[in-house]
Amino acid sequence: MSALALELSTIGVLMRRALNEILRVPGAAIPGILAPSLFMLGLTGAFGALTELTGFSTESYISFILPVSLMQAAGFAGAATGVNTVRDIELGWFDRLYLAPTPRPALLAGIVLSAGFRALLPMTAVLAIGLLLGAHWPGVPGLLIAILLALTFSAVSASWTVGLALRFRTQAAAPLMQASMFIAVLFTTSYAPLELLTGWLQTVASINPVTQVVEGVRQGFVEGVSFAGTWPALVVLAVLLGLTFAFALRGLATTGR
Amino acid sequence: MTAIEVQGLEREFKGGVKAVQGIDLAVGEGEIYAFLGPNGAGKTTTVRMLTTLLRPTGGRALVAGHDVAKEAAAVRRQIGVALQEAALDPLMSGHELMRLQATLHGLPRAEGRRRADALVERVGLGYAKDRRVGTYSGGMRRRLDLGMALVHEPRVLFLDEPTTGLDPSSRAAIWDEVRRLNDEGTTVFLTTQYLEEADQLADRVGIIDDGRMAIEGTPAALKAQVGQPHLDVCLTDGANDHAEGVLARFGEVRPGIEGVHFQVTLAGGAGDIAPVVRALDEAGLAVAQLNLVNPTLDDVFLAETGRHLEGDQDTGEVAALSLESG
Repeated sequence: MSALALELSTIGVLMRRALNEILRVPGAAIPGILAPSLFMLGLTGAFGALTELTGFSTESYISFILPVSLMQAAGFAGAATGVNTVRDIELGWFDRLYLAPTPRPALLAGIVLSAGFRALLPMTAVLAIGLLLGAHWPGVPGLLIAILLALTFSAVSASWTVGLALRFRTQAAAPLMQASMFIAVLFTTSYAPLELLTGWLQTVASINPVTQVVEGVRQGFVEGVSFAGTWPALVVLAVLLGLTFAFALRGLATTGR
Repeated sequence: MTAIEVQGLEREFKGGVKAVQGIDLAVGEGEIYAFLGPNGAGKTTTVRMLTTLLRPTGGRALVAGHDVAKEAAAVRRQIGVALQEAALDPLMSGHELMRLQATLHGLPRAEGRRRADALVERVGLGYAKDRRVGTYSGGMRRRLDLGMALVHEPRVLFLDEPTTGLDPSSRAAIWDEVRRLNDEGTTVFLTTQYLEEADQLADRVGIIDDGRMAIEGTPAALKAQVGQPHLDVCLTDGANDHAEGVLARFGEVRPGIEGVHFQVTLAGGAGDIAPVVRALDEAGLAVAQLNLVNPTLDDVFLAETGRHLEGDQDTGEVAALSLESG
């Protein structure tokens, strides 16, 4: 088998294992659906009238907040990959992967890309609930861009949390993994446009690169997609994915040192 | 040819804990080598270093001709590993896991499927191959783990306490499979706490204690170092005053309790049993019980370290002969 074929087979087999988990324990997906859905419903109920303020690009708060819930669903699915990695380390399953002669980037890619499978189910559920409750239909290009960006965000989340898993090697790190994703999405323009934020939150949101991703996912739901609204998100995600993947790969390389 | 060559291997963990302190050993191609020692002696740490899961902090180890620290990928291609805890995904079936392992080791899909089919049958799990592993017993999981370690036909097989916690029949099944693999030419390096396992399987035994190699050799040679077999003689109550004198003709005698129990070292080995029985009979001494006690690997460990092996489930002595009369 050629090196490339071996790497692709490894990625495929690890993604299939993740798919197995989803299909054979479907109940495990419920928290990942409930949390962002309740967040979306709760915030829409509490802050729905915010859109009457000048500065909102839509009159529909659920259209404004639905992309944030999509990001949360993707981020939490990525964090679940990190938590599962810790479980695999504690159970010894990770040793089996480590003992394979497969190149380490292929092993990591298989684990990280499997987060996409985990993210698809809650993202679909959140999207369906949001659209049923009146969120704007983003159009096919808007939807595809939102899905692409959110799935890439889940890969970023997975890389970051797998990196943490390989360093801490204990379930005790699970809250850190989940909290870091929650904070990354929360301290952006998730609740309101940047101009309406004040104080430290405005400062943090303006420098937090995830803000660009939130805006990229959101664009189709509030005003229509454009290249100018998409490329900053793509660049941010590419950089974040590169950095977090390198972080995880470093953790994998130093395993057993 | 040497399958495993270790020189001065060391592993020091953070905090200064030295789990392995300069081990030297060599395992020949086609040999079964048992690494014996109590809990915490450094067996698993050594195996993890030899299988590239843990980096040595000192010394050097070659497995299948490759350095475990510098050529880890090459080592991984040549070894099969079944670790202490059979790490299996409970949601997958035995056959799915075999195929996954085949893919991880670079086998093409059709070849992987063929090997998976053959191996589940070989380890006696053909009837359960499509069941989820979560429903398997401990013995089935160990057999599956062993099968998975073989999927890429490794040159050297590492088994870390392969039968710990298994019932006698599952243990025997694993032993049979290990012997069969070895007959086919696979070098086997196994760690165990069980004296009987090392005795039954190994061509050579290395005994580790506190991170250091205490002693190494064939089971027979190690036991011979400890001493001759001895005979436990239990006489019936009565006038046994001259028993010690009769037994002293055959070797050193240690009188036991209440003038009826004696231990005699057999200078002539097991061949002295019949003469002892005849001599006792001719002296009018009635034997209640006679046991031939061979030295065990535990005696070897005791002689080297002053302590018994913990975790051993054997009786601590191998009774090759037990005669009772009356």
